[in-house]
Amino acid sequence: MKIAIAATDNHIDAFVDRHFGRCEWYCIFDTQTNNYEFIPNTAFNLTKGAGYKAIDLLFGKSINVVIAGRFGSRAIETLRAKDIQMIIPENQITINEILKNCKQNSN
Amino acid sequence: MGRCKKNRFIQRAPHFHGFTTRGVKWKHDTDVFLNYEEYEAINLCDYELLTQEEAARMMKVSRPTFTRIYESARRKIAKAFIEGHDVRFIGGNVEIISWYKCDTCKISFTLQKDSPMACPLCKNELITESH
Repeated sequence: MKIAIAATDNHIDAFVDRHFGRCEWYCIFDTQTNNYEFIPNTAFNLTKGAGYKAIDLLFGKSINVVIAGRFGSRAIETLRAKDIQMIIPENQITINEILKNCKQNSN
Repeated sequence: MGRCKKNRFIQRAPHFHGFTTRGVKWKHDTDVFLNYEEYEAINLCDYELLTQEEAARMMKVSRPTFTRIYESARRKIAKAFIEGHDVRFIGGNVEIISWYKCDTCKISFTLQKDSPMACPLCKNELITESH
């Protein structure tokens, strides 16, 4: 399973970004290999439709799950159509906490 | 008798219950009740900057119906602003996408078509449906 996390910065102590389409980085985590990488979001400062571009970018990497603080309505619509799971944390948490959680439960 | 209202389609219900006024001397005991569909109309039009036509398509209603919902939302908000009422979000004729909650991980999430009814992070099956 591949997880994309909207990140505020490109290290694992960064927080999960509040908005899916407008974050500066995505952390992509592969639960099979336990590897992660950061890719820059090229669409973050678009005035409109940032979510679409971001989904295209992530879909090319065959993501199954995305995590962000908020999703725009069109992002939700597109992600549902592509059958990608969305996760919204209730509190502000760091990427590291999510990764730890995933690793713990895959063992 | 009028025809039943068609359900308006909503991506996600607001994650809080409303607004309260500050420093009002004569507090009204009546609140303004904003329906979820009105909240969504404001979200789509004024926050996500969609055109009314696009927004209507997302809510699965006709364009004139959308305009009516949007108009009603603006009137209610104006009333609350000017007269100093609290605003409360309540149901309405809506169909909301299912979101689930896991209390251990403190997350809300959607489920994929064939995925099991379990939390995607901790795999716990103790999840509750939330709006």
